[in-house]
Amino acid sequence: MKTAGTVLLVEDNELNRNMMVRRLKRAGLDVLTADNGQQALDTMLSAQPSIVLMDMNLPIMDGWAASRRAKEDDNISHIPIIALTAHATEDHKAYALQAGCDDYATKPVDFPGLLVKIQKLMRS
Amino acid sequence: MSLRRQLTLSLVTILVLFAVNVGTHFWGSFARNESMEAYRESVSAAQLSTEIEQLLEDQRQQVLILATLRETTEDQLERKELRQAEESIGAIGNKIQRLGRLSRGVTEADYDALWESSNQLLKGWLQFYRGYNDMDFDLDMNDPLPFLEVNQRLQSLEQRQAFIASQRANIIDRTIALTDRITVIAFFSSIFLTAILGYYLVSYTNRSLKRLKKGTERIGNGDLNYRINNIDDTGELGDLASAFNDMSDKLRNAIYDVRRARDAADKANAAKSVFLANVSHELRTPLNAIIGYSEMLQDEMGDRGDINREQVQQDLGTIGNSGQQLLTLIDDILDLSKIETGKMSLYCIDFNPADIIHQACDVLSPLLKKNQNELYLESLQQLPNFHSDAAKFRQVFTNLLSNANKFTQQGRISVSARTLSERPHWVEFAVKDTGIGMSDAQIDKVFDAFVQADLSTSANYGGTGLGLAICRNFCELMGGSIRVKSQPGGGSTFTVQLPTDPESAHAIA
Repeated sequence: MKTAGTVLLVEDNELNRNMMVRRLKRAGLDVLTADNGQQALDTMLSAQPSIVLMDMNLPIMDGWAASRRAKEDDNISHIPIIALTAHATEDHKAYALQAGCDDYATKPVDFPGLLVKIQKLMRS
Repeated sequence: MSLRRQLTLSLVTILVLFAVNVGTHFWGSFARNESMEAYRESVSAAQLSTEIEQLLEDQRQQVLILATLRETTEDQLERKELRQAEESIGAIGNKIQRLGRLSRGVTEADYDALWESSNQLLKGWLQFYRGYNDMDFDLDMNDPLPFLEVNQRLQSLEQRQAFIASQRANIIDRTIALTDRITVIAFFSSIFLTAILGYYLVSYTNRSLKRLKKGTERIGNGDLNYRINNIDDTGELGDLASAFNDMSDKLRNAIYDVRRARDAADKANAAKSVFLANVSHELRTPLNAIIGYSEMLQDEMGDRGDINREQVQQDLGTIGNSGQQLLTLIDDILDLSKIETGKMSLYCIDFNPADIIHQACDVLSPLLKKNQNELYLESLQQLPNFHSDAAKFRQVFTNLLSNANKFTQQGRISVSARTLSERPHWVEFAVKDTGIGMSDAQIDKVFDAFVQADLSTSANYGGTGLGLAICRNFCELMGGSIRVKSQPGGGSTFTVQLPTDPESAHAIA
């Protein structure tokens, strides 16, 4: 399955970040990375990625705050955000959607399922 | 006064008034009868007097006629005529005696005077009749004095009796008026008392029942602090109100107990759910790496082209490390479970505390870097060697440092130590950070298992809330203690006091 587009991966854990970068690239996507919420907002503004995969527990600015701000900024509010987190409860899913995320995926990541979500959101 | 006593007293009062009424009636009719009898006597005495007066007058006329006849015609009395005269004079005597029986008491003196003079008069008349036929017998009946005297005394007795009769009639009138008055007063008093009693009873029961009803409604609607006001109510309904208030107190306490128990259960349940969510999160983080790297390697092995053996080796190392992390977490949970069931024991060896703390810091250095924190180790070189559980000692400091780092960004974390002059063979360690700190309420709970300073902390900072619970339990197992000083925004200082040898510390203790 090959998908064209630029993904911004926001993840503070280096191991997980490296793994996801390799897998996304192998699936045919261009990948940018950020390791905290503030950096993610900066990159979204400057690089205008097609989609953002956002971890929630981040230093400096967490994923919820970053998502909220992204959706409040007209320059980047159109970019879809998928929350990516190890918090697996319904409450956490609701928090993410309330913060403005367009979709939600739990860790450990079901990678084929994540690719389907990415494609769907990039197309729309 | 109680309602029952009030009622009894009022009823007794009414009964007494009623008895007074009846008594007055009987006394009145008795007195009336008495006076009536006396009145009747007086009246018959008066009649008798008149009758006697008439008879005396007739007899005198007859005597005067006979006396005149005797002088002029020397008339003789026949036997029959003498007897008739004797009889009529005896009848007059009898009537005077009868009058005497009617003239008791006040008229007795008048009657005695009458009796004396009439006796003389009648005796004179009898002599006149008996000596009538004897011409030698001198009969001077012309002296009117004896007759006038009797007549006068009779009249005075009559007057006296009339006066007494009118007096008695007066008494009767007065008695009737008095009994009437008493009857009317007692009757109206009874009605008045009954009306007041009725009004009081109705208004009292009405007021008290209204209060009871209002209280029942308020308490029934859930206002458990409402109390019926019965301060001015000393009767049975007041007692009922205070019994009701007592019941409300007990009910309120019971409901508060139930609420407290339910709140505690809810809190424990919420804490358990949060703990499970956190355990799930903590397990998923290393699992994400294990599963992600495995799947990725599997995918890459299927690709054409050369295999980068070095890369593969590194990836497998990552998988292994994540597996180790997972194991540590599971061990933590098991440790706590062991501590809670009292099955945790110490494995003591000789070690240098500074070395162990350095090792813990090395392990944590990537995390310190991530949060841009600086670590300072102070005065660890002069510490004595320990004979204690090195693994638990290491875990205490790993947890404290990891915590300090978790809640501090771009700050300073320091570990310092000093020997205690007042307690030889004891060392005090302090792990100090410049992080977010805690409130007093958070400090109270921070060493409880499964409880982080507050439920939102876990969402922001992750963690299971096991670290500090394990620290406290391990410190206590090693014979020491842990405490914390902190304020919101002002960083936290965890102070650990440990004996260099738990066994000797236990022996001394």
